[in-house]
Parts: sequence; C-alpha cells; structure tokens
Amino acid sequence: MDLGELASCLGSASCVVTQVSAGLTIGLLIFLVASGLTLIFGVLGLVNFAHGTLYMLGSYFALTAYGTTGSFLAAVGAGAFGVALVGLLMERFLLSRIYGTDVLMQLLVCYAIILILDDVVKIVWGGDFLKMDLPDAFRRPPVIIAGGIVPYYYVILFAITAAIAVILAWGMGRTRFGRTVRAAAVNPGMVGALGINTTAVFAAVFAIGSLLAGLAGALSAPIRSVVPGAGVSILIESFIVTVIGGMGSIWGALIASLLIGFTRSFGSIGFPLFTEGMMFLMMALVLLVKPSGLAGKPHA
Amino acid sequence: MRTALSWRGDVLVAALAFLALAVPAFLLGLPSVLDFVVRFAIFGLLAMSLNLLIGTTGLVSFGHAAFFGSGAYAFGLLMQSGGWSIPAAILAAMVMTALLALAIGALCVRLSEIYFAFLTLAFQMLIHSVVISWVSLTGGDQGLMGGIPKPPFLGIDLGNQGHLALFSLFCLLASVVALRQIVRSPFGAALRMLRDNPERAAFLGLSIFRYRLAAFVIAGTFAGLSGVLMSLYVSGAFPTFLYWTTSGEAIFMIMLGGITVFLGPLAGAAIFLVLNDRITNITEHHGLVMGTILLLLVLGLRKGLLDFVVDAWRERRERRA
Amino acid sequence: MSQHDRGIGRRSTLMAGAAMGAAAITGFPMVARGQGRQPIKIGMPTILSGRVAQLGVSSRNAVMMEIEKFNAAGGLDGRPIEVIVRDSRGVPAEAARIAREMITSDRVDLLFDGEPSSGGFAVHEVVRETGTLTLHLNSETSSLSADPRQRFWNAFRIARQGIHDSIAGGAYAAEIVKSRNLRRWMTVSPDYAYGRDTTAEFLEYLRAFAPDVQVVGETWPRLFQPDYTENVTRLTQGRPQAIYSCLWAGDLVTFVEQASLYGLFNQSQFFGVNMADYTTLQQIKQLPRGVHSGNRYLKNFPPVPGNLAFAEEYNRRYQTYPTNWAWQSATAVHLITEALKKVGGTDPRALANALKGMTIDSPFGADGKVTMRAEDQTLVGYAIGWGTTISADPYVENMTTADWSMIFRHEQEWKRAKGWA
Repeated sequence: MDLGELASCLGSASCVVTQVSAGLTIGLLIFLVASGLTLIFGVLGLVNFAHGTLYMLGSYFALTAYGTTGSFLAAVGAGAFGVALVGLLMERFLLSRIYGTDVLMQLLVCYAIILILDDVVKIVWGGDFLKMDLPDAFRRPPVIIAGGIVPYYYVILFAITAAIAVILAWGMGRTRFGRTVRAAAVNPGMVGALGINTTAVFAAVFAIGSLLAGLAGALSAPIRSVVPGAGVSILIESFIVTVIGGMGSIWGALIASLLIGFTRSFGSIGFPLFTEGMMFLMMALVLLVKPSGLAGKPHA
Repeated sequence: MRTALSWRGDVLVAALAFLALAVPAFLLGLPSVLDFVVRFAIFGLLAMSLNLLIGTTGLVSFGHAAFFGSGAYAFGLLMQSGGWSIPAAILAAMVMTALLALAIGALCVRLSEIYFAFLTLAFQMLIHSVVISWVSLTGGDQGLMGGIPKPPFLGIDLGNQGHLALFSLFCLLASVVALRQIVRSPFGAALRMLRDNPERAAFLGLSIFRYRLAAFVIAGTFAGLSGVLMSLYVSGAFPTFLYWTTSGEAIFMIMLGGITVFLGPLAGAAIFLVLNDRITNITEHHGLVMGTILLLLVLGLRKGLLDFVVDAWRERRERRA
Repeated sequence: MSQHDRGIGRRSTLMAGAAMGAAAITGFPMVARGQGRQPIKIGMPTILSGRVAQLGVSSRNAVMMEIEKFNAAGGLDGRPIEVIVRDSRGVPAEAARIAREMITSDRVDLLFDGEPSSGGFAVHEVVRETGTLTLHLNSETSSLSADPRQRFWNAFRIARQGIHDSIAGGAYAAEIVKSRNLRRWMTVSPDYAYGRDTTAEFLEYLRAFAPDVQVVGETWPRLFQPDYTENVTRLTQGRPQAIYSCLWAGDLVTFVEQASLYGLFNQSQFFGVNMADYTTLQQIKQLPRGVHSGNRYLKNFPPVPGNLAFAEEYNRRYQTYPTNWAWQSATAVHLITEALKKVGGTDPRALANALKGMTIDSPFGADGKVTMRAEDQTLVGYAIGWGTTISADPYVENMTTADWSMIFRHEQEWKRAKGWA
C-alpha cells in the first residue's frame, strides 16, 4: 500500500493526465472484448468461453496481413473481419447445434474450440511469441498534456475504441437491427413469430461479437506480444467486466471496463500488489449487493 | 433398514473392487501399473466429486480444480511444517478445503447456472494468482519444493509406491461409497429435485441456497482429498493443480464417462488417462487431438460415452420386450 | 528397428535423418537413432507446447543436433545414443509422470531434464527416489544445487545459475552507476519466485558494489500479464535514473514496446538481464539503443569461432538462432558424451563420478572451458557478460566479461550466509 504516493499523484496534473489516459486506453480495449461477450450472452444466452481465443486470432490475422501488405488498415480489417468469419463458422457449424441444451454442452464445445485453436495457431504461426510492427506513421514522440505523457498510438487507440463504443450504443439503441436484437434477447419466439429470421439474427450477433474481439486483438498486436494461449487472461478480465457491469448490458460493460482500467492505472501507484485482488473484490461486492450487475436486469 | 442394507452392500462391492484392482496390480508388480493405479484414484476421485455438482445437482462448475489444488497445498504445507501425522494432516487439509468451498460457494451458488460456471472459473484464477504471488508460503510458480515428508503410520509407508497405490485405491473406494450414500440419501433426492424442478422444491420449502451450498462444500472436500493424493504422488504441489486446465480435464473425464451413470466419471478418468498418455507419447499437438475427440463426443453423442451405451442398451431391451 | 517397442512405451520411431524434417511438419517426437549395437537411451521430458514451447523446442533441437554429431562419429564404440523426447506441456506433474514412465517402461539409461525450474524440481524428486542419472538442462534456480538438502549423487545442473548472474549483473551495473552517478533506481520484474529472487539478489550485489544506490519504487506485473501500461506509467511517475528488470521473452517484448511509446528509455537507463536472447531481440521492432543487457545466448559472445559455428549450423537446420536453453542443452551433450567415453559404459555411479569435477573445452566457456563443479554438481566457468544494445545484428556491443574469481568469492559468502556452506 502506498496511498501517500497516490494522493501526491492525484495532486499533480501531469500524473493525473498520464494515469487517466492510460486507464482510458486499457479500459476501452477491455470494453471491445467484453462488449462482444456480453452482447452474445444477452441475445444467444451463451457464454462464449472461447472469446479470448478469438481475441488471440485477431492479433495473428493482423500480424500476417501487416506483414504481407504493410498497411495498418488492412491489418485491422483482417483482424476484425477475419475473426468475424471464424466466429460465424463457429456459430453455424458448432454452437448453433447446442442452443437450448445445458451450460455443460456450451462449456465443453468452447473448451474443445480453445484446445483446437490454440494448437492450430501453434502449427500455423509457430510456438514463438511474435510482435506486429508499429507502423511508422504512429511512431511519433508522445503527446505531452499538462506535463502528462500520452503515447501517440494510445491517442489513436482511444479514438478508434471510443468511436466503436459510440457506434455500438447508437446501433443497439437507434437502428432497426438493434431493436430486433434487443427484442430477440427478451423473447426469441415472439421475434420469430413476427417473421424475422432469428437464425440470421443469432448468427449476425455472434459475428459482431467476434468482430469486436478480433478488432481488439488486431489493435493491440503492435503493443502486445502475440502468443498461443494468450486468450485466457483476456477472457478472465472480460468476465470480471461483464459480471460487474451486468451480463447482457453494453452500458454496464462500458462502465465496468473503465472502472477496471482506472483501477489498474491508479492502483499501480496506490496499491501496486493489489490491483488484481481489487478487481476480484469489486466483482465479489457486486455479486453480494446486486448479483445482476451495475446495469443488468435481474434474471434468475 | 433399506439404507443400512444398501450401505453394507456398497461396502462389500467396494471391498471386492479393491481386491479385483489391487491383486492384479501387485501380481504384475510393474511400477508403471502402480503409477497408473495412483493416478486413476486421484483423477477418478476428482471426477466423481465434480459429478456430484454437475450430474446430481446440475451445477456446472468450471473451477473445481481450486479445491483439488487447495487440498494439495494445505496437506503439503502441513507435512512440511513437521509435527503432523499423515491422517491428521489429511483431515486438516480436507477441513481447510471445505472452508474455502464454503466461502466461494456462498458467493456463487445463488447464481444462475451460466453465472455460476464462470464465477467458479474466475475465483479459481484468483486463487491461482494468489498462489503464484505468495512466494514465501507456496513457493510461487516453482511449487512446494523439497519433497513432502511421509512418516509411516499404522504400518503404512506412503513413500513406498505399492503402499501409496493401495492407500489411494482405498481412499477412492471409501469416497465412492460415501458419495453413493449421499446421492441415494434424502439429501441426494432433494438435490436432484432442485436440479430438475426447482419450483417444486421451493414450493416444498427446500432452501435452494443451503442444499446447493452443502453439495458444493461436499464436492470441494472430496476434490481436496484427491488433491492430497496428488501431492503424495508427486511429492509436492504446483500451481497447475489449480489452473483452469485441470478443471477442464475433470469435466472432460466426466464427459468421456457419463453424467447420469453413477460410476461414469470413474470410467471417464480411466479412458482419459490412457488417451492422455498415448497422445503425449505420439504427438506434441495434445490440444488438437483432445479437442477434436471432445468435439466429436459432444456434438456427435451429445452425452457421455457410458450414458450413450446405457441408453442404447435400454432402448434395445425395450424394443425386444 | 522397433524391436524394443513393448508395453506402454510404444511409439512411432522414425529414421534419424528423416526425423528432423518429418518432425518439423508432423510434430511427432523425434527419436534420433543410428544403426549398430544396443543404443544408449536418454529420456528427455520438456515443454513443447504452451507459452514457453519455443524454449523447449530449442532445447530439443540443440540436443538432437549434437547427438547426431556424436552418433555420426561412431557413438560409444559403435553404440549410438537414442533420445526420446516427450511433451510435458509445462505441467510439473506430467513432467514427473513422463520421467517415471521413461525410467520404468522405456528403461532409459539416463535423463535429460529439459524442464524449467518448476518441472525440474518435480523431476528432481522422482530421480531422488529412482537413482537415475539426471542432467538438469534448464533449471536456473540457485537452490536446486546450492541447497545441500536438494543435492544427491545422481543429479547435475548444466545450466546457468541465478546467483552467478546476479553477482555478475550487480558488478557490471555498479561500474555504470559510478561512472554516470545513477543513484535513484526502480525495478519492474514479474511477480513470481524467479522474478522476486533474481531481483532481490541483483539489488543485494548492486548495493554491495555501489552502496549509495537507493531503490525508490518497485512494480510487479503478473507473470504473462497481457498489458504493461500501468507498470510503465508507474515508472515514468517515479522518474528513476535507472531501472532493473528480469522480465523475459514475450513479457519483456511487450514491456519494451510500451515503454518506448512512453519515452521511458530516454528518461532512464535500463538494465534487462534477459534482453540478449535472439527470440527477444528479433521481436522488438525498434530496439532502443543503449539498453544494458546480460547475455542469454549471443553468437558473438564469447567471440570464438566454435560459438559462431554452433549458431550458424543451428540456424541452417532450424531457420532460427539458438536460445539460452540451446547452448545449455548442447553443453549437456558435450559433457555426457565425454563422460561416456571416459567410462566406456553406462553405469550411473561411474558416470556420475566421471562428471564430478570434469572440465571440457567449450565454445560457451569464459576461457574456452566449462567445468562441472564437484562440490555442488553444477556448471561453472560459462561465459557471462553484459553489454549495450544496438538496433540491428549483432544487437549487443561493448560486451564486458564477468570475472569468475570474483563470482566464486561472492557466491561462497552468499552460501555461508544461507547456511549452505
């Protein structure tokens, strides 16, 4: 514990800027993964235990695309849409067969997918950890705001992830598709009766959720090492976020992601050895006080 | 009266099973056979205990290895501290595991099944990271080192591989008898009712929370015992014991065996171990092979192997009749 | 060819030559064998899958390459060595099981333990019971050989040892501290046994050589943490003059990349004990200039033809450069083949006696030689050096070689303080 240090940080503009920007960037990257997880759960009633693995695949796709084309845009596109395609195939050929069965089946299918994809990645890309090049365009000196340091690439990351969050919120709230999805989440039978193809809605939602995970993987490939099995820690983090925010709630996921981001960035100064424990503690508290999460609707 | 009889019957069957397994193992006398017996006891017990949650109670835990690992660490630490006899340390380790299961269970069992599955997973990861970080107590990633002392008790020397195999087999069978009694007791019947028809159970005034918590604690305690056997087997305790992959393997075993057949998880554990050993001998793409087998099993049969066999057999008999 | 396949240990056996190519494709474990009389069998559990698979693979690669040379030169009076490699997946209990199975079912003559510390200790316990001659190739934890309670006649460590690195690193850093007046230090190391011990030992020797050093802050990321932003910002806030880290492999790459974005390397001198390993150096795209690093494995250090030839041959076969685990594994083959020749057979007691105190010529030695120290059965005399990074091949320059007489002196004191000597 070093709360004195934390207090002096909060008293200095440069420290606050550095930590807030770091917390925002970390939080929004978690949000991309967690929002997909929570969206899929909300609509399909399925916990995608393989979601972290999709994140990992996004990094690998981006890495290969960048290696062959040298274009950052192509890399991000390959990560996002490549993983969306994988997600679509996964949903159509594997997961759609077990809708309506119990959690055990979901868990086992996802577990099998994790085992297989981790090994496939190892066969295709090798067991070594890899790194995607940070494009030269982003390799600029950090931006200095009030003495605080914000890396240039983090500004880009922040812009992209914030834009996605807005699009997602708008898409779910204001578009016809968003309303259909929300309705399907509450009562799939009713939506089906209205002549809407629920199979297509389910597939689309799973693909969108996968796309978000792949996008997060692609965006973090230039700053994080890419390695088989990297999905698990990401998965746990997004679990914590979805539990705190409330399963199925995009807004809850956003709030909880930022909460986790700030806990990490300020925790590393105030309680460096307890940031991890703090995340779990928050989760336990939420479960005790409001098991449906900060923004979730109660469900049995 | 009936329960008393069935109790004696179970013990008799268990004693016969003990002889049937122990005698050939000793006649062969091969260290690798004895090793297999120990591992079978360890993982068989782990899978059986987990199936009390999954099969009987309908709670799919993805964090069962937390208790397996805690049992191993608690036992190892007690023995290394000196002054504990093995039976006392085993009991103490089981009590500690039970308390841990009580704490985690109290947080998790009120939740819906999906929440439950991944909360147990999350708490397991928390315990795993505590074990990794608390180097002064647990040895961190290197595990408990320096071996676990095994002072002989009642003429049993667990440092001897043969004794360890017999002792593990005994623990397994005693636990299986106990678990069978639990499953067949009124308590077990209540658990099944909670699984199949929670509304009716609530209507009858059963506290879902208490029954599920009790099942969670019992399952955790037996997992703790299997962890104790594991720490005796490898003479140490390692963080992988409480990593999510160990939980995954336990669920895999149950799936290989069967959920509805009481002894299914035991069969599953045996199949899993044989598969595992063969696969590691021929390929380093362990995950690919195991994952494919699991996928075929889940999507093809949609139930455990023994479940499938039993159902098919029943169907055939009915068709004939 | 497969007359000995019996019992549980049945597996595919491949011709030694074809094995290399085929294994690269199929991933089947390799069995290097030659024709001739009853082969000498070595069992090798190591990590071939998971996060540190590349290290296990490099360890296997080096063993296979060197064993093949030995077999091609006629083996031990016509007896070739056959190596059975199996994947433990980094699970210590699996490593113990595989070791036991190799001993009882495959009846190996000796074990190459290719596990890192965690699995290494598990294998250590197995062979303590079975009395199988065992060479630990990759366990660097000092206590494995330094603690007398861990020591028994049939286990040898052929790897660098944490305490040696710490003394050498402390001495090197102290020189820089004095010349550039670096007083304020911070550390960033992974939060697990290796990270804690290595950091504490490094700081202990840094303070011994440069008493006015102050540690003003520490940050401990989790092992395999995906993101280090919070640790980097913690370091930028502390404004230290120098930073020590024993992060390694993928974790180190992520840290360095994120730290460069924050301009950390312009602000502070960085001492990374595990930086100079090709797998790490090649993945860091914009390697900052002037980072201080210990050598894990470098083809130009020690700067002798034998070392360069080893790296080039390895690169020709496997299209990548050797790792720290690779030179250690190659050294194990050199030592054991020397001992086999000396003894003329595979009697474990005789081999153990031959290994004790054995000195051989080695391209990885500080003075062209390495020694298996008799008193604690661990490797000494291997080359340890520190230098500074440059952004392209050969990646590290201005190597300063550590002085082993100095290391021995401090190691002895350290052992005495621990009650081990």
